[in-house]
Amino acid sequence: MLERDITVSNRLGLHARASAKLVQALQGFQANIFITYRGKEVNAKSIMGVMMLAAGLGAQLRLRADGPDEEAAMAAMVDLFERKFDEGQ
Amino acid sequence: MRSVLKGGSAARGMALGRARLEQPGRILVDDRPLAADEIEPEVERLLAAIGLARDELRTLRDKLHGTLASEVGDFLEAHGLILADRDLVAGLVDLVRLGRYRASAALKLQRDKLVAVFEAMEDAYLRSRKEDIDHVLGRVQAALVRESSVEERKLASRVGEILVSDIVAPAELVPLAENGMLGAVLTNGSTLSHSAILARSLRLPMVVGVDDALGSIADGDLILVDGEHGEVVVHPNAQDIARYRHWQREQVQIGKRLARLREAQTLTRDGVPIRLYANAERPADVARARLSGAAGIGLYRTEFLFLQRREIPGEEEQFLAYRDLVLGMGGLPVTIRTLDLGADKADASGVALEEEPNPALGVRGVRLALRHPQLMISQLRAIVRASSYGPVRILVPMITLIEEIHSVRRMLDQCVHDLRSTGQEIAGQVELGAMIEVPAAAIALGGLIRYVDFISIGTNDLVQYVLAADRANDHLGTLYDPLHPAVIKLLAQILAIARRARRPVSLCGEMAADTRYTALLLALGLEDFSMHPGALLEVRERIAQLDHAELLRHAPALLRASSGARIAGVLQRMQA
Repeated sequence: MLERDITVSNRLGLHARASAKLVQALQGFQANIFITYRGKEVNAKSIMGVMMLAAGLGAQLRLRADGPDEEAAMAAMVDLFERKFDEGQ
Repeated sequence: MRSVLKGGSAARGMALGRARLEQPGRILVDDRPLAADEIEPEVERLLAAIGLARDELRTLRDKLHGTLASEVGDFLEAHGLILADRDLVAGLVDLVRLGRYRASAALKLQRDKLVAVFEAMEDAYLRSRKEDIDHVLGRVQAALVRESSVEERKLASRVGEILVSDIVAPAELVPLAENGMLGAVLTNGSTLSHSAILARSLRLPMVVGVDDALGSIADGDLILVDGEHGEVVVHPNAQDIARYRHWQREQVQIGKRLARLREAQTLTRDGVPIRLYANAERPADVARARLSGAAGIGLYRTEFLFLQRREIPGEEEQFLAYRDLVLGMGGLPVTIRTLDLGADKADASGVALEEEPNPALGVRGVRLALRHPQLMISQLRAIVRASSYGPVRILVPMITLIEEIHSVRRMLDQCVHDLRSTGQEIAGQVELGAMIEVPAAAIALGGLIRYVDFISIGTNDLVQYVLAADRANDHLGTLYDPLHPAVIKLLAQILAIARRARRPVSLCGEMAADTRYTALLLALGLEDFSMHPGALLEVRERIAQLDHAELLRHAPALLRASSGARIAGVLQRMQA
């Protein structure tokens, strides 16, 4: 199991389109992937779950991946956050 | 029982017809629990509707191409994923199977639950995205409704109906009117919204801000919409109907009187010629512009071409539309405004260009165009090609900086060069103008105007930006006032600078169409008006009553007045 803390750095936060990108990026992985924010844990492969986190700019998230390809899944997820979901801001 | 509901008059005129209640955003729900044998068929109906909604989203996305494919595509992609979300679908199915709710009731419950979560969010932007939920679940609801044949029959015709709803999007209004709808009564809305502007141009009586309309009017009630007084009469009595008939006869008289003005020149009482142009966005507007004796098209809004289709029309399609417009005006000048979309205007069509927290101050008009040069170039090429069929000018919205004009000018020169080098026949010169609606451009006009061939004042946005007051926000009441001294001074300054620089200047906001402001605008020196064609004859009639030299003498008093009320006072004396 891998865990990693990350801060939401795109200006608009985890809105529908950003959540969609996250969910799509994780679709191919076998690992179970969860995001925790303010004590609430959701399945990162569910767009509704991710949107309902209400994680805006600056939110501190804990990412957790558990499964055979957990490293690759975590890397893909972190990469997306660091690219600010390609929103350019 | 007769009752009278009060509201604001958003579009004048009267209409008598059957109320047709529409509750968009909300969901009409059949609350009766399902019988045991109804459950599985209802689950299937629900899943079929979800499937239909997903197919629709996919079809929409496949139609997208060009520069918008990525942005709008992402948005549709997200909605598609929401519909595919296992938790969401399982939750809905559980409501039907375990809760014995009908599909529409399950959708409403789920929507309300999700929206409540969004409404509790701290982040203002994320909170506003409950729209995504409404949009997605609304699509499923619409798919459910379409399946029922009764509903289909009801949708087929609007003849004799008056829409009663909370709000109506501009994109919805046109097809409703074309299908015979007579008028609209809205609980929300503003007299200054885009829908209200459109209703006026469609000559569709509209009363807004009628708080209890949805509670006091039942589907099928006979109602009288009185857009002259901002009233709605439910179950009108014989006297109301007589009043309506009287108004109708009066309209026929006015129509005859105005018809005589069609061929007439526009002259003030003392013989000064004034030019009245028509604003247009649909083919029907062009016909009406001709019928009203317009001097040309002063503002052709190309958004309609874009919004109607929910996809980006290519150069060829745009060229054909512009060519027909130019041919339709038979040699009279046509000013085509380049795409003026922003996050707010795009929403009306159901396709958001960008999600922006503050669309009025965001990427819109020329700002959007410069971010999507391919989109702008295909539009400029289409316009330039249309210019071989008659006189055409290009108007660029939201100009703030001289550099923006330079950028567009470079693109335009390149288009002309490219077209010429492929042997296309095009007009010697296509004039380029700036829409003056950003206060910065208005204040610094002296430096900017040398780089354009003409300007057009967009008062709707200019007034809202100068006063920092959203014209569609009901809560601001009278704050949005075109008679504010700052607005009057700025208009006078723009007109004076244009005169000194010898650049033609027209005014194309709602002010141009409102006969309450005709004397004011003439006094400030305006000679070119552009308005929706429906208002043209009335303004021409008004101008004929006014003495130009006399009005010009009042200009200093207008500029000295320190409040909107004082300016209104001077105006009254001028027109006495």
